[in-house]
This record gives sequence, structure tokens and C-alpha cells, in this order.
Amino acid sequence: MTPFVFLALLQDGLTSGAIYLLLAMGLLIVFSVTRVIFVPQGDLLALATLTVAQLQAGGVPGTLWLLDALALAALLGEIAGGRTTRRTLAAWLIYPAALTAACWFGPRTDPWFAMLLGIAIVTPFGPLAWRFVFRPAADASLLALLILAMALHFVLAGVGMVLFGPDGASVAPLTSATLMAGPLAISGQSLAVVAICAALVGGLRWFFGATLTGKALRATASDRLGARLVGIDAAESGARAFALAAFVAALSGVLIGAVTPIAYDTGFEIGLKGFVAAIIGGLASYPAAAAGAVLVGVLESLGSFWASAWRDVIVFALLIPVLAWLSLRQRAAGEP
Amino acid sequence: MTLLPAYDITLAGYAGLAAIVAIGLTLLTGVSGQTSFGQASFVGIAAYAAALLPDGPSGLLAGLALTGAAAWLLGLITARLSGHFLALCSVAWGISFYALFGTLPLLHGFNGIGGIPPLRLGPLSLAAPAANVALIWLVVGLALLASRNLLTSRTGRAMRTLAGARAMAESMGIDTVRLARAVFVLAALLAAVSGFLFAHFQRFISPTPFSLTASIEYLFMVILGGAAHLGGAVLGAVLVTVLREELTDWVPRLTGATGNYEAMAFSLAVILFLQRAPRGLWPRLARRAARPKPRRAAPAQPARECPIADGVALEIEGLRKHFGGLAANQDVSFSIRTGEIVALIGPNGAGKSTLFDIVSGQLAPTAGTVRLFGRAVVRLPARRIAALGLARTFQHVKLLADESVRDNIALGAHLAGRAGMLRALLRLDRAEEARLLAAAEAAAARVGLDDMLDMKAGALPLGRQRIVEIARALCLAPRLLLLDEPAAGLRLQEKQQLAALLRQLRGEGMAVLLVEHDMGFVMDLADRVVVMDFGQKIAEGAPAVVQADPAVLEAYLGGVA
Amino acid sequence: MVARVLAAALATMLAATVPAMAQIKVGVILSISGPGAAMGVGYKAAFDFMPQEVAGQKIEYIIRDDATDAENAYKIADKLIAEEHVDALIGPSLYTSDVAVQPLANAAHVPMIAMAPLVPEPAKFPYSFADAQPLSLMVSVVFRHMQAQGIKTVGFIGFADGWGDQVHAATVQAAAATGIKLVADERYARTDTTVQAQALKLMTLHPDAVMMGNSATPAVLPVAALRRLGYRGAIYGNHGIVSPAFIRVGGTAVDGVIADTSPVAVYDQLAADNPVKPVATAFMTEYTKKNGAASVNPFAGYSYDAMLLIAHAIPAALTRGKPGSEAFRVGLRDALEATHGLVGVSGVYDMSPTDHNGQDTRAAVLVAVRHGEWTAIR
Repeated sequence: MTPFVFLALLQDGLTSGAIYLLLAMGLLIVFSVTRVIFVPQGDLLALATLTVAQLQAGGVPGTLWLLDALALAALLGEIAGGRTTRRTLAAWLIYPAALTAACWFGPRTDPWFAMLLGIAIVTPFGPLAWRFVFRPAADASLLALLILAMALHFVLAGVGMVLFGPDGASVAPLTSATLMAGPLAISGQSLAVVAICAALVGGLRWFFGATLTGKALRATASDRLGARLVGIDAAESGARAFALAAFVAALSGVLIGAVTPIAYDTGFEIGLKGFVAAIIGGLASYPAAAAGAVLVGVLESLGSFWASAWRDVIVFALLIPVLAWLSLRQRAAGEP
Repeated sequence: MTLLPAYDITLAGYAGLAAIVAIGLTLLTGVSGQTSFGQASFVGIAAYAAALLPDGPSGLLAGLALTGAAAWLLGLITARLSGHFLALCSVAWGISFYALFGTLPLLHGFNGIGGIPPLRLGPLSLAAPAANVALIWLVVGLALLASRNLLTSRTGRAMRTLAGARAMAESMGIDTVRLARAVFVLAALLAAVSGFLFAHFQRFISPTPFSLTASIEYLFMVILGGAAHLGGAVLGAVLVTVLREELTDWVPRLTGATGNYEAMAFSLAVILFLQRAPRGLWPRLARRAARPKPRRAAPAQPARECPIADGVALEIEGLRKHFGGLAANQDVSFSIRTGEIVALIGPNGAGKSTLFDIVSGQLAPTAGTVRLFGRAVVRLPARRIAALGLARTFQHVKLLADESVRDNIALGAHLAGRAGMLRALLRLDRAEEARLLAAAEAAAARVGLDDMLDMKAGALPLGRQRIVEIARALCLAPRLLLLDEPAAGLRLQEKQQLAALLRQLRGEGMAVLLVEHDMGFVMDLADRVVVMDFGQKIAEGAPAVVQADPAVLEAYLGGVA
Repeated sequence: MVARVLAAALATMLAATVPAMAQIKVGVILSISGPGAAMGVGYKAAFDFMPQEVAGQKIEYIIRDDATDAENAYKIADKLIAEEHVDALIGPSLYTSDVAVQPLANAAHVPMIAMAPLVPEPAKFPYSFADAQPLSLMVSVVFRHMQAQGIKTVGFIGFADGWGDQVHAATVQAAAATGIKLVADERYARTDTTVQAQALKLMTLHPDAVMMGNSATPAVLPVAALRRLGYRGAIYGNHGIVSPAFIRVGGTAVDGVIADTSPVAVYDQLAADNPVKPVATAFMTEYTKKNGAASVNPFAGYSYDAMLLIAHAIPAALTRGKPGSEAFRVGLRDALEATHGLVGVSGVYDMSPTDHNGQDTRAAVLVAVRHGEWTAIR
């Protein structure tokens, strides 16, 4: 293997790793606040790519109508439950109405407008998933929550197939520039992916460290009961955590959708690898998750180079001792 | 003319095949708390073995051997994993094996192997689906029976501790890692049997039915059915198979389209169902029917002889434990003689529980020695220490809340039995099991729980739960008893009964070390008192002496005085 | 299940009293969802253009989705045969499903027309037919083109799945036949987001050309990666990629990609003397009128030809027995085996007792992406 090849593989692994890390962060946020392993995040990623691609092609994406319908159902549910507040009205009436209007009258084929609109359409699916799937079972066992998440994955993959068909789609890249580093051509999009990922990690640190909402989320994560006692609404925190995760997923979809075509069923495996990274991060630590994400990305890239047919066998078999080591280390450190 | 339409026979075959896997998964996930997203891999290994060695018996043997070996090796790792690490680990091997099935040239890649002959049982050919399905359901029945035998045995009781009470189990003498691995291998072997039958039933195999998605579906079955119930496994398997089938029939008629709608409808059904019954269907259907009452055995006899010999039970010397920079125990030394009750007291955070954990083998000390009946036990695993005659209770009660008081107490009798998994599966352990249950009942009688044997332990008030823990400890027939706050939550009369019991045990030669905050109880009962503060022993002596010690007063009243 | 037993009993009673409606039941098994969905929709869409009546018999189509899973296909086939009593099976459209279903259909004497490139073995499975070109035929056309271009070495990249395996097997065969050296076998998963590493590996081996064993839009990945890395050799594919979606997603990067395909995919560009041209044009004109100009694909043609073959065989079969009877199905099989010179949209079928596919090189054409269009190469 020449240094050139190695660098090219590394660059490839880093780009994938950045996306895995974004998803890992979403998973970490949701898990720490709600105990849900949000497997379907990868499906939201795919929905985001497909939504933006359809907008950029001049169409009106089915996800918009689905959002309107679900938001209406959520609103009716709140009204029936007598819990209507200004916030629920804003979230489930004004927001979807505004999006629909923006889609209808806005310049939706404009790449940037489409991207922002697409992210705005997909993000509410996070809180909706919480509202309709996980909140009603918030006290269930971890395993039951995990199974719910798996089931939701199949539902969302089905939605993707029904709304967008089986073919993959790409979105316009943020930049088509290419940077030459010696013999190595680095696409501007790869750089943008890594840069945005880094910015987002920084942004989330700030969000959890400096904002009231972030602190409340952190408080709910560390002590559910305590948070309730000081007046933090756990349901509200859950909705916010899911919104953040869905936002991160949608953003990832726009980023990676410019590098590679994404189909309705592409997202699950990306999400799975984000899950791997999150677990390596012990479902708690962002730096460790970042290391895990890059590790998975680079390992995959190297495995594909050496023995592509055996890649999954090798990468996932290697993962087993890593997990064993992590689990034992965590247990050793966790003893009182 | 058969009773069922031909197609329903096929469907019944698939449901039965899934049920066999689900029964294993119930033992593994539902009972032992080891989530597996990789059962389909084990089905696959055996199915491929059957396809490559199509004559029947050799395929079955090869499949079982290969699956057993793979599971045993994986079990070396998984048996130590917990929570999401285990879940992800199973995802990892699930994907790895799937990729392996598709890549190994021997297995004909992703296009699979066709033309597998139907099974023959001697001169009898099972080419007719009905005969094949009958065989499958016969296996389901046998698997159910054997698994029920297992769950109502010494091993079955121990299995239930794996789901979150491993530290407690170890202190009862249970080798949890070995047991977890045994359950893992057992579940894998059940999957292998299903895989063997599958290959000869469908007569064509490819990697698809052994993918991660298939493993997820097995989990769906177990969770929908009711994860901890064997009946739930069969119910879940039938439910999922039939539901999927009905949806494939009905959804296209309703939506007028074919496509992903069936999978969506199925998954939506799973979601709605789990929201309403997160513990599955079986507990809802089967009203907690009376459990098979264990046979009453001959009058209780102690499981092991208690030596009355006089001597030193426990010797602690220079014990030190540091957590990072924090010293939880700092050069603690004291000893207990047989037939003596020693109380360990001190303010919260004085290091009493740490000391308990070191003595009982849950923690390794930084320095110092612990001798139990003259034998150095530092760094010995808890279960070995238990075998030497030490039993303990826990500050935070560690009971299996869903199990009966009897079964909880019988956990303490684990070391008094020898029957393993195989004997339990074949129900060859009944005499011994009766003896263990008798020991449990005797222990219960001693602490006054004999009228609550069939209640769920979790339903008792906290004080009573502590008594269950004491009975469980007694069941070990220990020579040294460690009690962590036994009187907390007890009413006055109950405290008196407890004190009387402990005196009686002392009379029998047992050594007792107890941590307690109730000073009245302690001073009344203890022969000697050891006082700790900030990890150090600050006083030791008869109750009256210690009470007058200025250092003790300082420690308790420190800030105020 | 009790309900179903009752329903079945009821149905038996009714069948005994009411004369059976004269109609022919055709069971159809397609991979409309799951990994094969991208091709499955093409197969499915053709059923909007199927004859509703043949030789005075009404045709009932029962379409089922196997979700790209052979086990599902097996269950579905069992049900179609045992409960619906179909007279013939169209499909499955997935190769592994065909292999799984074949023994069932043959045991029940139900003729089936596999729509994946299954190579029928009439001696073993007399009721199995296939209307998709064998991959060996398709890939040999590609390799002959390579030979003409003076290509000496080829690197293979394909899916790590059944399709990838099949195209690879055909590639090995064709390479040996043409004396072209196969220097690499790289694989990737259909759902992968990058094939940079595999492309780099191919680059280091410097093959004169690359052959792809993949399908639908994920086939864009290796082309884009190779071109980004500066690969200048020719890139070949198979008919699994010949759809407008491939070009829509691939953009200019896929310009110049060459692939084999079924004549119907370039119906309007076929030579005027090609016998397939009028049939294919008639079908695709209707098809694109309903599904849009961008819907052209080779797979709808297999569904269409399957029914064409069955329809062609029905009159002869009716002389042997009533629909629903075993005699009718046996007659159908015999008539199918006797098909001669039937022009379909995917080629010309000349069946015989030893050849249950019956296609020749007239069923394979070469196309290349030129200016954002699939263009036939003569």
C-alpha cells in the first residue's frame, strides 16, 4: 500500500466517520434523556436526502404531507387531552403551515432553500416519533424500548419506499470545489462534512454547557426524578432530545446525500454504525464516541481495500473483542 | 383429506420452526437478560450443515457441534458483557455470520443451496409436509417440556439472577459467567435444531433467513409473546407468523397495492401492541395460574453440618482500599471468633460497606489480608468465599422481585446441590430439588416466613424483604454471617425476633458480623463492637466500653460537640 | 386459523354446488419491496398492460410481494398453489426465490416462468421455464465488445449479494472464453455509501476495463469513485443498471458506461430489421404513456413476455383440459415447451425439451450512456 493510497483511504474513512459521529451524537442525546436507542435515526437521514432531492427536482415531497397529517393528529391529541398551550399551537399548527406555505410559494428548486426546507421538514419527525411511539411507553423496559425503535425503523423505511420509491437520489453538493493536496484530490464536500461535523460537536457542547434548555436536558439525563422535582418537564425534554437527534440526522442526510446516492433503505446501516460509535463512547462520552466513529470509518475503509468481499465479516468480528474490552473496563471502573 | 388446508400446514411448520428458536431466546433474553440480535446466525450454521450433509443424522450432529462450538467461543465474551454492549455484540456477530454465509465459496454465496432432500426417519420419509410439520411440533413440545424442567430447577433459579443480580448470585456461590455461557450455548443449540429442520423443510437455503432482520423478528416474537414466559415464546412465534401472513393477504386488498405496506402494517402493529402491553401477551392471557407446587419433601434437614468448633472465624489485618485518591478503608484490623456477634458501626461513609464487599469477595483490597477460617481469601471470587462458609445480606436488598419467596430463599441452597443444566432439562434432579426446597422452607420457618413462601418477594414490605435475605443467607448453612443493616425497616417486635434468632445462631457456633445503625439493637445484641470513621477503625470493645469512648462520641457528634 | 378452516370447508362446499367460473388463474411473485425493489417496480408495472382475456378465458392475476426473500416466496408459492389453485406461476423475479419455489411448482405440476436469469434444467424440473436471458449470454456480449476494443485485463466490482455473485460467475466464464484476464473481484454492499477503497484497489491493479456486477442507482457509486480517482479505462455494466434513474443520479460521471441489456430498454433505437422492434415498441409506447418517459427499463419486459408465453400456450392447453385441472396445467407445460419463434419484447423464444429459455443473441443488445441517454451500440 502506497502512502497515497493510505491517505486516500484515511480521508474516505474520516468522511464516513464524521457522518457516523453526527448520528452517534444524536443517539447519545436521545439515549441519555429518554433511554431510547433511536435506531430509526438512519431512516430519518434517508428521508431528509430524498426530501431535499425531490424539492431540488421541483417536486413537493410526500414527507411534507405526512408531517402535516401527523402534526394535525398531535394537535388534536393535545386538544382532546386539554393540554393546548401556545407552544403546542406553534409546534403543531403554525410551524407545519408555514413549511407548507414555504414549499408551495418558495423557490424550492434553489439548492440552499431546498436544503434548509428539507431539514425543517424532517426535524419534526423526531418529536413526532417521541409523541406517538416512545412517550406512551416511556416506562417500558430498555429491551421493549429497543424493540419499539426497531419496529419504528421498519415503519419509516416503508414510508420512505412508499413516498419516494426504491431508487436512490442525490442532492446538490454544498461545493463542487476540489482541493489538491499533492497527488490526493480532496473533494470540497468531504471537507465540508468534516468541518460541519466539528462545528456541530462544538455547538452541542456549548448548547449543553451554556443554554438553559441544554442544561435542563442534561439534568434530565443524569437524574430523571430530580429533574422533575425542580420543575423540568421530562416529556418536554424528551421531545427536545428527539428534535435534536432528528435535526442532526437530517443535516447528515443533506451532507452525505451530496457525496453518494441515498435510497430509502440506505439509512439503517449508517445509523447502525452511528450506534456502534455511540456504544464505543459508552453511551455517555462524546470524545470517545468521536474516536469510535472514526475508528469504524477507517476500519471499514481499510477492510474494503484489503478484502472487500470479507469486509463485513472482518469489521464486525473485530468489533466483538473491542466491545468486550470496553464492557469489562467500564464495569471495572463502575464498581463502587 | 387432512384437517387443515395444505397451506396452513406449511404455515404451521414455519411457526413451529420459529417457536423452537424463540424458546431458546426466551431462556436467553427473557429469563437470563442476555439480549441477542444474533440467534438467526445459529439457525444458519446448522441449516448450512444440514444442506452440506443432507443425509440427516450427520447433518444434525455436525450442525449441533458447529453451533455449539461457535456459541461456546462467543460465549467466552458475551457471558461477561452486559446491557447495550451485549446487544451490539450480538448485532456484530449477526452481521458477521450473515456476511460469512454469503462469502464462503463452500456455501454457494448469496444464491444459496437447493435440492436438499426431505428428512427420513428410518424407513419413514417425511416428504409430506404434514409429517414434517408433526415432527417440528414434536420438537417444539420437547423443547418446551425440557425448558420448563430447567426453569423449575436449581439451575433455573440461578438463571434468573443473571438478569441483574449477578453480584448477589456470586455471593450465593453461583458461577454466573459459566452459567450465562451455558444458557447461551443452550439457546444456540435450540436455534441449531430449528435450522436443521428448516433446511429439510424448505429444502432450499440462502443467507437471507439468517440475517440481522431475521434475528430482530425472533426478538419481536419473544417480546410480543411475553419475554420471560415459555408459553409466550410459542404464542409469539405463532402470532407473528400468522399476523404477517394475514397482512400479506389483506393489506394488498385494502390498499390496492403491493409493496412495503405489509412490513409497515406489521411494524405498526408491533408498536401499538407494545405500547399497550410492554410485558407481552402471555402475562395478560395466563392469569397467574398456580405454579406447579413443589413436592413436599421429608422434614427439613440442614444442608451441611455446622461446625461448633471453637476458633477464629475471620481475621482482617491491615486492610486498605483506595478508590483513586479516596481511602475507603485505611489499615483496618480486627477479628471475629466463632460463636460471637460483632457489630460494625460508624457514620455514613465510614467504609463499612466497602469492608463487607472486600470480605465477601465483591471487591479486591488495595492492601492487607483477610483470613476466613484460617484461609487467605483476598482476590478469591465471591462464590469461592461463599463455598468456604460465608453468607451475606445486602444494604440495598437484592431479591428477584418477580419470584416467590421460596425460590428466592432456595437460591441460598445453590451450593448444597450439584445437578447441572443437563440433569435439570431431563428432570433427573427431582430428589435433589426437593431437598433444596425443603432446606429453603426450613430456613423460612426459622425466620418466621413460612406462611409467605408463595408470595412474590417484591410484594413484601421492605423489612420483610430483609428477612428473606437473611433466610437466603441461612440456607447457605454458613459459618460466618455478614448482615448489612438487617434491622432497618423492621418493627420493634420483628427486631426482637431477629435478635432472638441471631442469639440462637450464635449458640450454634455461628459467627455474625453486622452493620447496623440502630444503636439499641446493636448494644443489646453484640458481644463486641468495632467503630469506623473515615475508613479507619477508631475503637473496638464491649458495647459499654465503646459507648463511653471519647473518640466514638467525637465521630458521631463531631461537628456538633 | 379456525376461521380459515371454516372458510376452506365452505369454499369446498360451494365449489361442489356452483359450476366453476371459467377463468385462468395466474400467480405472480415479485420482489416489490426490500433490496430488490428498484427492479421489482418495473416487473410490477407491466401488469397494467396484461391481457384480461385469452382464448375466451378470463385471466385472473394474483400478484404477491416476496420482499426480496426466498422464504417468503416459498410460502407465497405454496399458498398460491395449495389455496388459490393457480394454473401457472409468473416469477419469482428474484433468482433465489426461483430456486426455492422451483421444487414446489414442479411437484404440483404448475408451470412457472422464472423472471430472473435462472438456467432451467428441464430434465430435473420439467415445469420450470425462464424468460430472462441467461447471464452467460448477456455477459458474453459485453466481453465480445471488450475483445473488439483490444482489452486484455478486466477488474470486477459488484454487490456482495446474489446478483453480484451471478454476474461474477458469468464474468469468470466469459473472461475464460475470450482470453481476457480477470484481475480483481471487489465487492460492496448495496447500501454502502462509499466504494472509494474498492476503487483505489482497482486503480492499483491497472485493469484495461472494469466490469460491474451491480444494479440500479447504487451502481453509480463505483463509476463515480473510479472517475474521481482519474480512472480512464472503459467501464462496463449489466442490464441491472439500464434505467433512466442510473443516469439521473449519476449525472455526467456515468457518461460512457457500456452495458448489455434487453432489446426492450432501447426499443426505439433497434435496427429496423430487428424482429423484436415492433413488439417492443408497441409495449413500451403504452408503458411510457402511463408511467412517464423516464420509466423505461428491461424488467417490465420479462413480465410481459412471461404472459405472452403463457397466452400463446393457452389455446393448446385448453384442448387438454379445463382451467384449474391438472390436465390443463400439463397441457400448458407441453405447449410452453413447444414454443417456436415467438417474438417477445426481450428476445425471440425457441423452446425445446432441452432448452426452457430458448433465447439467443437476438435477446442481448449493447448500450452506452451518451449525452445523458442510453444509446444502442451497433
